[in-house]
Amino acid sequence: MKLTRLTSLAAGSMALALVASACSSSATTAPAGAPASAAAPASAAASAAASAAASAAGGAASAYTGPTDAGTAKGKTIAIISKGEQHQFWQAVKKGALDEAAKLGVTATYQGPATESEIDKQLTMLQTALSNNPAAVCFAALDSKAAGALLQQAKDANIPVIGFDSGVDSTIPVTTVATDNTAAAAVAADHMASLIGNAGTVGVVVHDQTSQTGITRRDGFLAQMAAKYPNIKVLPPQYGAGDAVKSADIAKAMMTANPDLKGFFGANEGSIKGVLNALKETGNEGKIVAIGYDSGQQQIDAITSGVEAGAITQNPIGIGAKCVDAAIDAINGKTLPKTIDTGFSWFDKTNINNPEIQAVLYK
Amino acid sequence: MAELLVEMTGISKSFPGVHALDDCRFELRPGEVHALVGENGAGKSTLMKVLSGIYKRDAGTIKVKGVEVEITSPRAAQDLGISIIHQELNLMGHLTVAQNIFIGREPRGAAPFLLDEKTLNAKARELFETLHLKLDPRARVSSLAVAQQQMVEIAKALSFSSAVLIMDEPTAALTDTEIDELFRIIRHLRDQGKGIVHISHRLEELKQISNRITVMRDGRFIATVNTADAEIQQIISMMVGRTVFEATPELPEQRDPNVVLEVKGLNLGRQVRDISFSLHRGEILGIAGLVGAGRTEVVRAIFAADRPESGQVTINGKQVVIHGPSDAVHHGIAYLSEDRKRYGLALGMDVELNTVLASLRRFANGFGWVRTGATRKQALEQVQALAIKTPSIRQRVKNLSGGNQQKVVIAKWLTADTDILIFDEPTRGIDVGAKSEIYRLLNDLAKQGKSIIMISSELPEVLRMSHRILVMCEGRITGELSSAEATQEKIMTLATQREAVAAA
Amino acid sequence: MQTTSAPARSRAQSLLAGESIQRLLALAALVILLVFFSIVVPHFASTNNYIDILTATAVNGVLATGVTFVIITGGIDLSVGTGMTFTSVVMGIVSVNMGLPLPLGLLAALAAGALVGVINGALIAKAKLPPFIATLGMLYVTLGMAQVISDVHPIYFEGTQPSFQQFFMAKPVAGIPNIVWVMLGGAAIAWILLNKTILGRYTFALGSNEEATRLSGVNVDRWKIIIYAVDGLFIGLAGIVIASRMNSAQPGLGMGYELDAIAAAVIGGNSLSGGEGSVVGTIIGAFLISTLRIGLSVAGIPDQWKSVITGLVVIGAVWLDILRRRSRA
Repeated sequence: MKLTRLTSLAAGSMALALVASACSSSATTAPAGAPASAAAPASAAASAAASAAASAAGGAASAYTGPTDAGTAKGKTIAIISKGEQHQFWQAVKKGALDEAAKLGVTATYQGPATESEIDKQLTMLQTALSNNPAAVCFAALDSKAAGALLQQAKDANIPVIGFDSGVDSTIPVTTVATDNTAAAAVAADHMASLIGNAGTVGVVVHDQTSQTGITRRDGFLAQMAAKYPNIKVLPPQYGAGDAVKSADIAKAMMTANPDLKGFFGANEGSIKGVLNALKETGNEGKIVAIGYDSGQQQIDAITSGVEAGAITQNPIGIGAKCVDAAIDAINGKTLPKTIDTGFSWFDKTNINNPEIQAVLYK
Repeated sequence: MAELLVEMTGISKSFPGVHALDDCRFELRPGEVHALVGENGAGKSTLMKVLSGIYKRDAGTIKVKGVEVEITSPRAAQDLGISIIHQELNLMGHLTVAQNIFIGREPRGAAPFLLDEKTLNAKARELFETLHLKLDPRARVSSLAVAQQQMVEIAKALSFSSAVLIMDEPTAALTDTEIDELFRIIRHLRDQGKGIVHISHRLEELKQISNRITVMRDGRFIATVNTADAEIQQIISMMVGRTVFEATPELPEQRDPNVVLEVKGLNLGRQVRDISFSLHRGEILGIAGLVGAGRTEVVRAIFAADRPESGQVTINGKQVVIHGPSDAVHHGIAYLSEDRKRYGLALGMDVELNTVLASLRRFANGFGWVRTGATRKQALEQVQALAIKTPSIRQRVKNLSGGNQQKVVIAKWLTADTDILIFDEPTRGIDVGAKSEIYRLLNDLAKQGKSIIMISSELPEVLRMSHRILVMCEGRITGELSSAEATQEKIMTLATQREAVAAA
Repeated sequence: MQTTSAPARSRAQSLLAGESIQRLLALAALVILLVFFSIVVPHFASTNNYIDILTATAVNGVLATGVTFVIITGGIDLSVGTGMTFTSVVMGIVSVNMGLPLPLGLLAALAAGALVGVINGALIAKAKLPPFIATLGMLYVTLGMAQVISDVHPIYFEGTQPSFQQFFMAKPVAGIPNIVWVMLGGAAIAWILLNKTILGRYTFALGSNEEATRLSGVNVDRWKIIIYAVDGLFIGLAGIVIASRMNSAQPGLGMGYELDAIAAAVIGGNSLSGGEGSVVGTIIGAFLISTLRIGLSVAGIPDQWKSVITGLVVIGAVWLDILRRRSRA
């Protein structure tokens, strides 16, 4: 009868799809990983050298110091388009930026889409901002390539573009104010390795694979592991869109599939929150090493109590402030270094209360 | 004289662009069946909708049992003891019979918000017993045949113990036996002192059942007469405002020998069992039978609206395979369904579009652009040829009267150049004036060489119009009668000739 | 002499062709899926994993239950996802920021959900907005309001006594977190409402033929508002459940959850054209989605494929439903 025929057809095609995806999963992640990891080892090696110097403490910020006076930029408007408002990280960037702007006497507008997957909304915001003819634009692209045309538009209008956080994968920005995510993720990998005895299986939960932060943190972690710790097996990264609940379910699935899992790396705040929740729900707190990124109340509590081994914190307030600084310098015609590293730090139970660390944490 | 149940005076009602009622009056005595007649668009339904609280009148007074009232909603009308059974069924298909009847008045259980299904079904059963209805309270309404659904509506209206019962075309979908049943119930209620308003086009029936007849025309009250004193012709004249001569059409002596359509061994479930027949050019083949005999199912199977399980269809000597309606149309078969509003027309669209709906490809150029010049011309031609009463071809079809809607459907199929036309209840819900126009149309079409299959439950109509009559019962063809030898009794006998139980 | 037309179907026939079949189909699909994954995917067949599946279904199960009411009336509710976020934030504000006892916070979440529902219902019944549009508008309103009243800041439930997360995520019975029982309990209440009360009867009647129901004297407008309010209560309940999983109210998430809720209801046999449906089917549909996702996750299938397969399953489920309906007619 028609019904049974269709059922078997549906079942058959589903089985085919599963088989196809199983085959392609190993295929797709390899090529995606390969070019990235080809590039990553180079920078990873370089920043590994740098991080070896900075070692467990973190990455040194670049020597750039901002302007003390707004100069010709005084009273002008700087438009800042961030990646979102979802996480406290962005609120901290916003604070840093707006405070610095107020201090130097320029007007800064700050906006971002509701979630970090709304690439089109971000582009619309950028478009609107550009049509208001700001003196400069600071932009953290959700998807670098997609923004290409708009950036060209800015360049043609002689509006300097400052990249921040993820930055922009393009030659147009005059500088990028960001954390060296590759080096930072490598440091996280180092700590993970030492905590699990340089051997075992590790899982990675990332927020996305289109933004620079997603790509570089994932690749930085994977590259360091591949380069220095051959006895550690890293599972294919899973993506939770930064949603704590989705990330929790994904982490639990990874634990189910790999009962001998020893550690988790969450590449952003939402992801590590999910991992922490998953550990709590499965009763694995303390049994599996958790290393995260950024801060936030939940992570701070988890690190203080020891559930989380530690995390990489960026300097969100610094990012915001340096962003505005760079914009002002650009308006005044100064040449800027290609990248402005705002630095990162590893923090755990031992140093969480240090004033330098406290200064860059946010709740 | 006993006080009037209902007295309506000076009632006027307008809708945007349409003056539906103009200074109408109507009265209803207790213990009477009062028929309300008029052509489509005369205002009968509108007047009754005012009485039953669906519409609010613009002017005039309504008195119920001598007291002047304002009827603001259907519920208000019910509270006053006025129930209406609409022509279009107002049932919730997904609910059961009992649930439909008692909607809004469900018996409650332990707590006021809990339902008591057992009591509900019991009450329904009680109701059916008093009315001698064979219905299962727990049957899903959507699984019932149209006639049974109507019974549910009637039961629902009667369950309110109303003093006034308004019935709008209640016998339209019923067989003669069911009509007798209904009339028995109506007489029973009348004898109990209730007042019944009976709106119908079937004048012979009204002669049987009504005490008085009120005629309306063009939104106005014309006259009220005692049924006993009135002649049907007289009533028709009042309805139409002119004398209508209902001539019987002349039928050709010799039948055209060309077989246009031949069906062999058609089978589909229990409703279509081993059907074989042939249709000649220029012939009107009537198919008679009780509701549920499978007539519609047979033609739907030929048209492939429902795929038959087996059977051969031959058109003009060539065997054809019909996978679906588009194939059927391609082979020149048209199907004018029973429920023209649901299956025959795009109600929200205008006359022009409906006319060309089955043949759009002809009116489109290579890129799919519809040539509106051509469609307009075609629509105007058809409106002229079929005498469709419409203010313009832009008029939305849902605003036309039933008879004119039917003409639009015919126009559609004529435009599609179909030669075999299957009419399923062609004059249902159409008033007397329009009916004879449709009959004339059918005759003309047959004379032009089109071949017609006509399903009808109105025996006089079948007898009048058909060259030959096939009679069906329970999915089989039980007999074939020529126009000369057919009588109502013979048709009835064949229609009730059930399959003989196999001998033990 | 024949007196009636085509005989009404026997009860057995109706039952077989009825909605029960769709639920059976959904249940069968779920069982097949579980068996399939258990055999093919290593580590899938473990108690912990099954409990994970139950846990992962809790939020969607509650949301889908609420949306079932609305779908049976032939409407839709796109605001359930962000509405859930809104109610969790309201609860956070009452319990944490204002420091009121936890039960008040729970009530506040339910009340906030009911409020969202009433507004939806009023827009649809009184202002005559199509349900799609009305609830789409409320999606954005609740998304924004959640962020406004929380100042775009997550609200953590530390220190509310008794500890919020502890209560809902505790596993006193069979190692299954309480939120699963909350979901099942909610479904049971919904079942009673739909099948045993006036509310349920009118829900089905409205969906089957709204005009006929209105003409029968039922105050359709009032009941629509009530039905959407009931949907809102479940939105509130979902807000409580998701907040308990993360022990915080996160104003950023929620958008997208409505799609899973509607998918669960549809897979479970609730027709989007209204008039029929069941909560049992919805819950089965919700479990089906979670099982599929988690099974694919444990199997290591990449995210993108998970989406594709889930989408195919939804299409397949609705297609089967249509075929079944056609064969019944």
